[in-house]
Amino acid sequence: MDDERAESYDWRGLADGVRGAVCLAGLVMGCSFIGFGAFLKSIGFGLIPGLFTISFIWALPGQVVFADMWRKDAELSVIALAVSVTAVRLLPIAIVVLSKARLKGAPRWPLFVVAHFTAVTIWLLTNQKIETIDPRRRLPWMMGLGVTLMTAMFGFTSAGYYLADSLPSALARTLVFFTPAFFMVTLVSGARWRFDYWSIALGAAIGPLATYLWPRFDLLIAGVVGGTVAFVLVRPKRRGLLP
Amino acid sequence: MNALGVYGAILVAGFAVTYVWRFLAVLAIGKLDAESDLLLWVRSVATALVAALVMRLVTAPAGLLAAASLPGMLGALAVGVVTLLYAGRRVELATAAAIVTYFLADIILR
Repeated sequence: MDDERAESYDWRGLADGVRGAVCLAGLVMGCSFIGFGAFLKSIGFGLIPGLFTISFIWALPGQVVFADMWRKDAELSVIALAVSVTAVRLLPIAIVVLSKARLKGAPRWPLFVVAHFTAVTIWLLTNQKIETIDPRRRLPWMMGLGVTLMTAMFGFTSAGYYLADSLPSALARTLVFFTPAFFMVTLVSGARWRFDYWSIALGAAIGPLATYLWPRFDLLIAGVVGGTVAFVLVRPKRRGLLP
Repeated sequence: MNALGVYGAILVAGFAVTYVWRFLAVLAIGKLDAESDLLLWVRSVATALVAALVMRLVTAPAGLLAAASLPGMLGALAVGVVTLLYAGRRVELATAAAIVTYFLADIILR
């Protein structure tokens, strides 16, 4: 910022980002939001609050946890804690994504805006494409991508919400089932270390038990116990394996 | 607890608690090792929590899934994971395999 020859962002990258949103990863994301819409409808969570969770949370697991716990009348502090735990994984993702988009010497505020758009799909697309983009256009590109995807997800979610009601029941259930199926597949595909696989297995094993014994804190208990046991038992002995 | 209403709750228990991690990421660029033990542990907890969420959606289902077949759902999840691991780690393919399996199971088992 105090560099006299400070670089500045090239905002024509915004339009590139808008076009970049139309791709396979965007379509997969769209399908998962159709499933999210159907899920909202099926648990009786309103569409408009559901769309609010898209704008303000912008990370599907957090949105599902929020809607699910809200419907169960969980306490606000418990919801906040559970949503926050699902969101911690955004920290390393956002560090990686933003450090590629950042322009040294340029103003910092756009980073705080783009940070809100960082999520798993944007991370995937960034890994695929960012090297091909002019550094001055990278941050605007991400902003265009984020705004376009977010807007599109309003449409996909609304479609799922209405489809859940109008489709034959077997198809409607299949749409709702998209959410757990997509989460499970994404979890396994994101696993890189042995403890990742153990966390998935232990979380899945402890989850139903915790739901039975401590229904109000089940996710937190399964997460903390399963995650900690996996991490301690299968402690990684590595460095520098991030792609 | 509903004093805030659902929109207030989304801001407090949704937006604020999620954005804080993104905000910290901006501050941490170049300073924090994305692979420090603390962050790896946190990642492990988050992974287990989402896995537990999947199991809750399936084993203690609400709404439409309450009428779904549990073996059908568990079998479909297994098909998705196996497809992912043995067919080149393609998320879209594995998700599609799980969904199609569930749909067939729903028709056959119910």
